[in-house]
Amino acid sequence: MIENIQIPEGMNPEVLEHLMNPQNYGKLENPSGVGVALDEKSGEYVIFYIQTDGKIINDLRFATNGCQDTVVVGSMFTQMIKGDAIEYAQTSIQKLNQKLGGASPQQQICADMVLSAFVAAMQNYENLQNGKTEEMHVLKMKESCDNE
Amino acid sequence: MNNLYQQKHELWLHIAFTSFAIADETIKSRLYDLSQIAFRHMKWIGSELLLAGENYNYDREMQLCKKESLFELVEDLKKRVEEIQSHYPHTRLGSRCRSDDGYLLEYLSSLLADPQNNHPITAYNRVCIYGEKNLTKEQIDALTLFLFEESYKEYELVLVYAYMQARTDDVLQFSVFEDLIAESHFHLKSFGNMMAKLGILALPRELHEMSYVIKDLEKFVRDGIAEEEAAKEMCRELSSKIKDEELSKFFDFINEQESYHIALMQKLLERDIHNEAAMTNLDFDEFWSGVDI
Repeated sequence: MIENIQIPEGMNPEVLEHLMNPQNYGKLENPSGVGVALDEKSGEYVIFYIQTDGKIINDLRFATNGCQDTVVVGSMFTQMIKGDAIEYAQTSIQKLNQKLGGASPQQQICADMVLSAFVAAMQNYENLQNGKTEEMHVLKMKESCDNE
Repeated sequence: MNNLYQQKHELWLHIAFTSFAIADETIKSRLYDLSQIAFRHMKWIGSELLLAGENYNYDREMQLCKKESLFELVEDLKKRVEEIQSHYPHTRLGSRCRSDDGYLLEYLSSLLADPQNNHPITAYNRVCIYGEKNLTKEQIDALTLFLFEESYKEYELVLVYAYMQARTDDVLQFSVFEDLIAESHFHLKSFGNMMAKLGILALPRELHEMSYVIKDLEKFVRDGIAEEEAAKEMCRELSSKIKDEELSKFFDFINEQESYHIALMQKLLERDIHNEAAMTNLDFDEFWSGVDI
């Protein structure tokens, strides 16, 4: 699972597959949580939708106006955690972050946006469970692709 | 009506991407022209919705039809054109759409009537070889990434500019958006055809509202200029990496066009673009309400 994920380095058949057919891409009707990671400097965003019963991530979608690295990481990450326990998904973020040590700075920022959007969606779910009114939870990114 | 808008959006893409997938230049070119007519239908349907006080979005529910022969592709397209007919309203625009589609259907039937038109389709075979050119893997990889990046961006620009154009009464804005839409169509066509040649033709991913419901026009234009600059840089890098005279010339040509896009957008900035009265910015506040930014 998470241990097997490879951060894309150049083009290979798996990356090409994610580019041609990004998985879990788009919107989700009646989500339990919606989160956005926003790079204010570049205007890039990742929006993440989750459908959960509080234990399992039953369904999820993401969308972005970002680059192809963001799409590939989003496609891989969502594929990996769909149908898994929330606890597992949260652990996987940490593990994925460790793996990102070998990625280029730009890829790290892209992946960070995907993971932050997921965290924001989970936060939105929790806020809604606690009675807060919030259409979506937004996290602003500290690092920007524009720094490149 | 929004359902019709979505169907027309999908049909435009189906015709355009069928054109990209076909290698025969005559058929490709004819279908591309007809796809442009479908795009105009989509814009007109959108305008009628806005006039009626309704709205539309860019949601899609479509898969690219990946067939192995030209006849299978054309048969599929024919079916999709036939399916939309009963959805057109009984208005002048509905008649126009039916008439144009009738012509398209006749053209598709004429293609199917001649077995010599049937050829294998290689647009989706992922061979990643660019015609007769002897490009290294590194060059092909760079070209592949560029094409995915830029085909999405051009599709996004076509739709974002069309969305904004439909909502402005300002002549300069309307004219600049019209030019930028035409330019982006040309780039999308060029990149789509190149992707097909490489065997990696794929639909650009769907646009989310956050990409086309523009909250701040000035910021949008400034970000657009920065994006054009980034695209120019990508073109420059690719041109130097590819080291193929013909392809490098093409990317330099695209690069120069991006420079003029910047000039067009600067025209908007030079004018008082704070005058948002000209933009009937539908429900930006409603969309962003509750967004903690």
